[in-house]
Amino acid sequence: MTTYIAQRLIIFFPMLLVISFLVYSGLELSPGDAVSHMISPELASTITAEQLDAMREAYGLNQSFITRYWIWLTSMVQGDMGYSMAGGVAISEIMVKTVPATLELSMVALFFSTILGCSLGVISALKRGSGTDNSLTVAGMAGVSIPEFFFGLVAILLFAIELKWLPVGGRLMPHYETVWDRIPNIVLPSLVLALMMTAGAMRYARSSMLDVLAREFITTARSKGMPEWRVNILHGFRVALTPVVVLIGFRLPLLIGGSTIIEQVYQWPGIGSMFIRSVRASDYPLVMTISLMYVFVVLTASLIIDVLTALIDPRVRLGKE
Amino acid sequence: MAKTSLDRKFDQIKKREEEKSFSIKKRSRIVSKFLNNRLAVFGLIIFTIIILASLFAPLLSPYDPMRVDLRSMRQAPSFDHWFGTDSTGRDVFTRVLFGGRVSIFIGLGSAILSAVVGIAVGCYAGYKGGWIDVIALRVSEIFMSFPQIILVLLLVSITGQSLFNLMAIFILTGWGGMYRLARARMLSLREEEYVQALRSFGLSTFTICYKHMLPNALSPIMVNITLSTAMFILTEAGLSFLGLGVPLNIPTWGNILNVAQDILILQNYWWMWGPVGLVISVFVLCVNFIGDGLRDSTDPSQQG
Repeated sequence: MTTYIAQRLIIFFPMLLVISFLVYSGLELSPGDAVSHMISPELASTITAEQLDAMREAYGLNQSFITRYWIWLTSMVQGDMGYSMAGGVAISEIMVKTVPATLELSMVALFFSTILGCSLGVISALKRGSGTDNSLTVAGMAGVSIPEFFFGLVAILLFAIELKWLPVGGRLMPHYETVWDRIPNIVLPSLVLALMMTAGAMRYARSSMLDVLAREFITTARSKGMPEWRVNILHGFRVALTPVVVLIGFRLPLLIGGSTIIEQVYQWPGIGSMFIRSVRASDYPLVMTISLMYVFVVLTASLIIDVLTALIDPRVRLGKE
Repeated sequence: MAKTSLDRKFDQIKKREEEKSFSIKKRSRIVSKFLNNRLAVFGLIIFTIIILASLFAPLLSPYDPMRVDLRSMRQAPSFDHWFGTDSTGRDVFTRVLFGGRVSIFIGLGSAILSAVVGIAVGCYAGYKGGWIDVIALRVSEIFMSFPQIILVLLLVSITGQSLFNLMAIFILTGWGGMYRLARARMLSLREEEYVQALRSFGLSTFTICYKHMLPNALSPIMVNITLSTAMFILTEAGLSFLGLGVPLNIPTWGNILNVAQDILILQNYWWMWGPVGLVISVFVLCVNFIGDGLRDSTDPSQQG
């Protein structure tokens, strides 16, 4: 087991390093450098080439590419993420503000989609082939076919504008301090996100449940004369859902990526809408830091999944790739 | 010698075969199974209708999708303008038809091209193994370390916005999945006897993997192409909705929806964004139905 984890870790760090290098050089290729983004168009006409060079020297931009990458990497490892070009705010400060908002949204959405997905999936499996099963399958496919932002817009129109039950967007309203005051704001975005995520969970729960129901211990339980609901719940449900819950728990990175557009639709001040803003403004330091953070989350999550599956199923760690 | 009942049966069969009455069932098992799947057939019909409608858009609509007509702006749907007009008086129905051309082209085109790249690499690397396979696997892992939308946005910020760039980005982000699929099929096919026989005949590696092995891996690939078409159409719509996809002067489904970011339009002019949102949803749903039908009819292990 230790060697397996060690093997995974040996891949993990070089991977992160290679990706950071690729992203750094990719953004290097994009037109303009940091200095050209700092100067407003009015200033650009009056500024001389010497002044530009002086600025480049001051920011260390005249050093070679590798040197700059090395400086950036070492300060990144030490926790200094640098500054955003728009407004010059420290990136670490932006992260501290936006990451909790995204986590909050994703966690609530994950909670709803897990409960909904598992229960619908189990119902679908128990009534396999029936009208309920078929309509749930079709509903699940509709769930992955509707663009999430379109669904979000319809929800805004219906529940926020027409019925006025919930706010249109945003996370914190002025003068609203307690947790209860904040709940109305999270309901719409998290439910929309959860409904979009439910389809996958449902499909997975259904096939896992069908798998378990075909096993011998279910037949044994039935033959003992156990009532059907007890067979399904105590024996089927419990066994079927363990792998599903583990899997859904680690769909968090997918969820964080998926929440990007929803955050924008609902003006949710999370990392996703910040990323979109930085892409629009060509704020390269911020684009780079946020995308590397996503990569870090995805790689860490897949590392944990690998280790967990190896713990559950010894065949994985003993067999070769 | 008297004919037994078995002989008579054989005679009947022989007679029918001579009359060629057996040839009615010429359709392959896969096609008939697909046609028995009601949702898949329904999906295929609507899919075809939408594609034909956008291909023949100039015949179906008298309007120009780009022409601004300020006298007829923000009109509600009527007999003249089926989906109404937008803020600059352009006919929304016409724009949806013309937008379909670009959106479907991007979706289908990127899916097919990324399949071509993924298969070309995956077949060879999966069959040959060795260092090519190791490198390709690591490269695909790099691309898969990003959430898909984040990678697309990152690449958009590097390359800038254009139709060509967007398709290139989609191919770059989409080939990995296809490669892994093709590779996995190749790894299992590689040990089969017919492949060993071909190898002992001295056929070249290219002939073996692209001409003899690839056809046996084609059905999961077809399913994957439909599913990634659906995904690319949704991604294009999302990006263009954010204003980061196809440049706004080209009508695409996402670009038409872009106006819904304005809450006034969202509230008062539902026809500018509602119908096109429905068209995207229905089209993608149909593509998913087709993909599901293909999977059920080609993969015997995926029933139920």
